[in-house]
Amino acid sequence: MSLRDVLSPYTAWKHLFEAPVTIKDPIGREAAERYRGFHQNDLSKCIGCGSCEDICQNAAIDMVPVSDPKTGDSGLRPMIDYGRCCWCALCVDVCMTGSLTMSNEYTWVDSDPDAFRFTPGVDLKSWDAEEKGYKRENNERRLTGTHRPEMGMLEPEARIASFGEIVHGYTRAEAVIEADRCVECGLCVATCPAHMDIPDYIRKVREGDYEGGLKLLYETNPFSQTCGRVCTHACETACAAVHEGDAIAIRWLKRDITDNVPRERYFDLISKPDVPETGKKVAIVGAGPGGLTTAFDLARAGNEVVVFEALPKPGGMMRYGIPEYRLPYDVLDHEISVIEKMGVDIRCNQRIGTDITLDQLKKDHDAVVLSLGLNQGRSTRVPGSEEAESAIDLLRRITAGDKVPVPKQVAIIGGGNVAMDIARSMARLQRQKHGEVGVTVTALEDFDHFLADDEEVEEAREEGCVIYDARGPQEIVVKSGKVAGLRTWKCKAIFDAEGRFAPKYDASDEMVHPAQMVVEAIGQSADISLLGAELTEKLEWNRGRIRIDQNGRTSEPWLWAAGDLVSGPDVIHAVADGHRVAKSVSAMLQATRETH
Amino acid sequence: MMKDLIAKLKKHYKLTEPDYRRADLTFVTAQKDELRSLLIALRDIEGFTHLVLLTAVDWLEEGLFQLTYMLNNRAANRTLALRVMIPRANAVGDTIHDLWPTAETYQRELREMFGIDFPGSPRVNDEFILEGWTDMPPYRRDFDSLAYSLQTYRERPGRVTHDPREHMKKALYPDQKPEAAK
Repeated sequence: MSLRDVLSPYTAWKHLFEAPVTIKDPIGREAAERYRGFHQNDLSKCIGCGSCEDICQNAAIDMVPVSDPKTGDSGLRPMIDYGRCCWCALCVDVCMTGSLTMSNEYTWVDSDPDAFRFTPGVDLKSWDAEEKGYKRENNERRLTGTHRPEMGMLEPEARIASFGEIVHGYTRAEAVIEADRCVECGLCVATCPAHMDIPDYIRKVREGDYEGGLKLLYETNPFSQTCGRVCTHACETACAAVHEGDAIAIRWLKRDITDNVPRERYFDLISKPDVPETGKKVAIVGAGPGGLTTAFDLARAGNEVVVFEALPKPGGMMRYGIPEYRLPYDVLDHEISVIEKMGVDIRCNQRIGTDITLDQLKKDHDAVVLSLGLNQGRSTRVPGSEEAESAIDLLRRITAGDKVPVPKQVAIIGGGNVAMDIARSMARLQRQKHGEVGVTVTALEDFDHFLADDEEVEEAREEGCVIYDARGPQEIVVKSGKVAGLRTWKCKAIFDAEGRFAPKYDASDEMVHPAQMVVEAIGQSADISLLGAELTEKLEWNRGRIRIDQNGRTSEPWLWAAGDLVSGPDVIHAVADGHRVAKSVSAMLQATRETH
Repeated sequence: MMKDLIAKLKKHYKLTEPDYRRADLTFVTAQKDELRSLLIALRDIEGFTHLVLLTAVDWLEEGLFQLTYMLNNRAANRTLALRVMIPRANAVGDTIHDLWPTAETYQRELREMFGIDFPGSPRVNDEFILEGWTDMPPYRRDFDSLAYSLQTYRERPGRVTHDPREHMKKALYPDQKPEAAK
């Protein structure tokens, strides 16, 4: 041991009379600006997705009810147990809305340990408004990606040349990237009318277990191939990812599963359950998504199911309303063949009232389900409207392969998705016949309140359709018995002060759109004349719609109603209806079996 | 300068393609059995006298640990990070405490946090910062922090949580209760 080693400890004595650098009373001393202290939660931004709870490696967070659940908000908020919190801030980094942050407050003394378990933002604290503390840097440090991969699509030039499908579907790599963004909070499930197991099937995409994914899809939706293409995807509006980026592409991921299972494998994976035959017979009127979902469920439960369809092929509006470029017929054929494999007997060209009567169906079956589509177009009733075509009728004729007139100029009245469907279909036919597109769409709504989906409007424009907003139809100009154009006025307001439909026009702003065909696409209704006078009289009605109970049963105990007829035009609502009605019919059939 | 150095080293040692991160920072992967000789050459001939740090990366899927030896040449203001890969199972590294005394501390840390042994390194089995640790070394990627936390720390009584999806189902569309009539 050297002398230096012995003496050096004593050199510290020279500091004896200096002012100490330590602080006598550290309580109240402010922490650094980005210190990770007690949490703050902006309740108006928080959606209760529970990602903070999921990521917490100390199980310090509980989701507790604070408000009523609503679309895209579970009403739960994180309660933090500071006995477990290690202040790592993973919860702040993962937060889907940026509502959860940390103040730089860290000193707090209380003799009650339970005081250190509280719900930030609900249990008010002195640091709630503190600006300093840990936040995500410029919102850039996100643990989940904020943007969905762009979907591969045909270029406008290529797609206008045919009715071929526009959307390619994700590649495996794109699907994994997209599935990885999902935090599996499940806020979307309540919003889906059929309550599909969305987070679970997205996990299957991530894991590459497409067969397991398909089985999961079929538990809630026998039209997943269709919905994977054309669903109105309300789920995506409820998605937690929408707050700081794109919603998860739920619809495309569903399609990814259905695209990645070979068609013949469907029949192995979706087999009919081994249940005894019930000996009961159910008739379903209409082979659309509502009727066929009911048929799928009832056949799988061991009932004999016959579907009566007026048109030559099954599918309803999915086939005769939705254009082929959005939903190819072979996809629909395959999807329906899976349902037929359950033993469902689909009889086409069977129109109620002409080929068979409802009375007969009632006599021959234990229950009857009405699942009619909205296949009658509404008319504007403006002068000359008797010369107009109906969009829904025209779409049906195009699908059926009928020869429809294809003039060089077509004017469409309407601004919804059906208007876009007929505009884009006519554009394709014009391109085939004349080599160029001449479609004008006139919508009552202005672009800020447009009814059609943004992507429909954008794609229609890319394909050469001209779209005018805020134009109200005044007359279909007819010259010597032939349609010559559409006269419109500027629409100033659509609804009156009470919210009733009462459009106001500016007559000085008049346009005449030259056209040899005018198509009305302003809404559809069901053809209920097939019910017959006697049944119409007997049934209870509610503002023009058949009154049904919460299970879809009408006031007649043998008759149920499902689909667009009662739920408005939407595939996924029809599917949800189908399940509900099938459950109700099954319960009734079960009850009658037990009493006999 | 770094390129010249790498070229010179490559004459005697097997090195991978270097990764020139910055003008003053280069990463390169070396052979495990050439590590000691390389470190001595760098320290005594090339002027990399300072061991900036010694750390590890867990390549769980590949079954490997990466040891990173970051050396600094103060005079030239250059940093060279040498990486060597060692098998993850029964992970053992060569001690370099005799080359840089500070390595003793790093090796103790790696022993405790990753479970990489450095036989011969002083006090390598002494507790470093974890006291009474009995579980898997916590920096290993297969260490489950949440499971450890759950089994180690007592739950405060009275805690109840809710799954958002189930909670919404119960409130908005329960199976038992009939849905609102249309």
